[in-house]
Amino acid sequence: MSISYWRLKDRYYRLIGVSCEDCKSEFFPPVHVCRRCGSRKLVDRDMPRTGKIVTYTELRETLAGFEDQEPMLLCIVQLENGVKVLGQIVDTTVENLSIGDKVKAVFRKIQEHGSSGQIFYGYKFVKA
Amino acid sequence: MRRVYVASVGYTTVGDHWNKSILDLAVESGFKALAGAAKIKPEQLVVGNMFSGLSSRQEHLGALVANGLGLTGLPAFKVEAACASGGMASLTAFNMIRSGQIDSALVLGVEKMRDLDPGEISQALCTAESAEYTQFFGASFVSLNAMLARLYMYEFDVTRADLSAFPVIAHRNAVHAPHAQFRKEISYEDVARSMIISDPLRLLDCAPVGDGAAAMLLVSEDVAGDVNGPLVEIASAESATNRFSFYERDDMLDFAATKLAAHKALKSSGLSISDVDYLEVHDAFSAVASLSVEALGLSKRGQGARDAREGKYDCDGGLATNCFGGLKGRGHPVGATGIYQIAETYLQLTGKAGENQAKDVSVGLAQNIGGVDTTAVVHVLKRN
Amino acid sequence: MKTHYDVGIAGYGVYLPLYRLPTTEIARVWKGGGAGPNKEKAVASIDEDSSTMAVEAARRAMDMAEVSRLGAIFVGTESKPYAVKPTSTIVAQALGQHFVLASDMEFACKAATEAIQVIRGLVGSGMIQNGLAIGVDTAQGRPGDDLEFTTGSGAAAYVLSRSSPETLATVEAGVSYVTDTGDFWRRQNEKYPRHLSRFTGEPAYFHHVETSVKQLFEAYGLKASDFTYAVFHQPNPRFPVEVAHRLGFKAEQIKTGLLNPMIGNTYSASSPMGLAAVLDEAKPGDRVMIASFGSGAGSDAFALRVTDAIEKKRKKAVKVADLISKNTKIDYATYAKFRGKFTK
Repeated sequence: MSISYWRLKDRYYRLIGVSCEDCKSEFFPPVHVCRRCGSRKLVDRDMPRTGKIVTYTELRETLAGFEDQEPMLLCIVQLENGVKVLGQIVDTTVENLSIGDKVKAVFRKIQEHGSSGQIFYGYKFVKA
Repeated sequence: MRRVYVASVGYTTVGDHWNKSILDLAVESGFKALAGAAKIKPEQLVVGNMFSGLSSRQEHLGALVANGLGLTGLPAFKVEAACASGGMASLTAFNMIRSGQIDSALVLGVEKMRDLDPGEISQALCTAESAEYTQFFGASFVSLNAMLARLYMYEFDVTRADLSAFPVIAHRNAVHAPHAQFRKEISYEDVARSMIISDPLRLLDCAPVGDGAAAMLLVSEDVAGDVNGPLVEIASAESATNRFSFYERDDMLDFAATKLAAHKALKSSGLSISDVDYLEVHDAFSAVASLSVEALGLSKRGQGARDAREGKYDCDGGLATNCFGGLKGRGHPVGATGIYQIAETYLQLTGKAGENQAKDVSVGLAQNIGGVDTTAVVHVLKRN
Repeated sequence: MKTHYDVGIAGYGVYLPLYRLPTTEIARVWKGGGAGPNKEKAVASIDEDSSTMAVEAARRAMDMAEVSRLGAIFVGTESKPYAVKPTSTIVAQALGQHFVLASDMEFACKAATEAIQVIRGLVGSGMIQNGLAIGVDTAQGRPGDDLEFTTGSGAAAYVLSRSSPETLATVEAGVSYVTDTGDFWRRQNEKYPRHLSRFTGEPAYFHHVETSVKQLFEAYGLKASDFTYAVFHQPNPRFPVEVAHRLGFKAEQIKTGLLNPMIGNTYSASSPMGLAAVLDEAKPGDRVMIASFGSGAGSDAFALRVTDAIEKKRKKAVKVADLISKNTKIDYATYAKFRGKFTK
């Protein structure tokens, strides 16, 4: 995974998605074909770093490698440009979350491969 | 195009098969299906399976199972479409027979889950979702379905009790199903009080983890005469896909793949949804069952769970649905599920469902999905 | 240490994690008695480390600086997530700045002021236009050690540029002083540092801070009363107060920049964060003195003059006072979970 992570670092670190050169629609995760107009001319584009919660959950049985982070809050955020992104929401508790809450993207540690492997960073969200 | 029939079915019980390997399970179900139509020598083996590579460090299942069945030489391959692997395997064999390429096929779905620990199972199930943008962030398959359920409850004012309806019905149906994983009734309170896995989903909202295998022999109309037992026709089998991750969809509560696959399947069978009197829906999670019956046009948007609570999908008195317990009650050995659904529909339409027999059923529809409605496979079956 | 061109601060940014461990919790588990010398300390969450906090502080500094290109990124830290693999390249990638000289600096608690000194040299010589110096740490004390009361987490970042109407403060003077003094150290592969208790006081902290500040005064003809504010490295609440007194500073000069009682010792970020708290409220024309201390040992001291640009620039500031007051208290068990005290 260290190599796929390396390939995606700008997506993870900077929320760089794509924008359609023909119809200006924006996408994250990036797409190869514009969902709106079918164009294949897509260029990298910074996504807005703020948005609102569309839905969320508190996960109590995490995937392997995330056990230390239990319980883990996950949400789907609709960014200012309408694009929906999945990520963890941190520095809060499930009791303090509601659909519609404003959030912003932050830079956090996503997972690490034990104490000797690589550390993977990326976006998460906190309440704005 | 030729007609295609289910000639026989065979399956293992679903549960913790500590003593059986993926091959043991596959062979057990395969032998049973082969025994049901002894004169038929299959010309093809199609294996549906999702994650044998992860669970058993074993790929190349086609040849492995063909050899295990003592059928070395038989053409064989594996079909994978996440939790819809079983349905997709059947669809594949159906098309081979229908087109005239072959006259018979053994279709077999198998999943060995219990060789993994719970974290590894979550990881394996999650390979149905984006490695780069979903798994990477620690979102398990349950957590995605939990977010879907929260949105569903929020958008349509669905209550905890409404959501519990499908699981309660599933367990009630499974009580008399000899092959079911959970043969125990549960109450609405049981669901509401069960352990939170990923809120709002609780343990009893989620299909269990279990091992299992199911198989069936499919034959063309040209060799159907060699079958002694009753036949059920596969009137159609169609599939469709949706935007890969559910959060990429404009309307996250629209099971568009199910809608599309069902539309195509009903159209090519010349039937309408109102002709369906037996239903198998992919109730991996309580909200998924509701969204499925809505996408099939059986319930209005946002009404699936409430309709279930009011008895609309009861096996006795409603549109008979998941009468062996569905994924929730019978169990959900992922790659085998689609075959269990068709096998159970076969039992219903041939009057061989025993204590689980629904009354006067002649047209069945089975909906099998992979991911969060990312792949949908719909079969329409008719009593011969 | 003089530069060819005048160098100023174009932007600054601070990051503090949300969580605070009251020191009464440490006392409850280990020492008995009441609170430690500081009331609370800032604790990084389970998914935070020096890289993440450096990026957050850097983004804030870059927002304020409004410069498009950096020529250097130096991260001063003693809690590098990797023993080998730079933190500065992670920051560079996150900021989208690739044509930079990037390196991590380690000098116990003074690595950030070293970074400032070096970037000052690069900008002041004309070699680069803008540079980023970050001080960040997730300081760790051995459970039960006296050090555990104060070891905190935080980050402060500074964008230095050639002085212009856009720089909010000018670096007027800077000196550095070091000796080989083994007051505090951590060997390779050890998780927690060791220290020589009282020896960290007179021969270490006081000797080096006093010497560097006196050198600053002497070389540039300055005195304590020339400054509106003074900020010292703050390993505990007492040392900076004592050293300020010895150097002739009054209590009101150091009050604003003294953060240890609320957040503990954020190591490399400690005095830079104190400076940020001062810049949050300073007026044009104010002079500010900052003196760091790093074990091993050394001190960098600087004199800064706040410019007219401060009023406009700090509209973009995320204020240190706000970061301190917005917090969530945790107990020792949660702290132990967050910082991997018992699980790793």
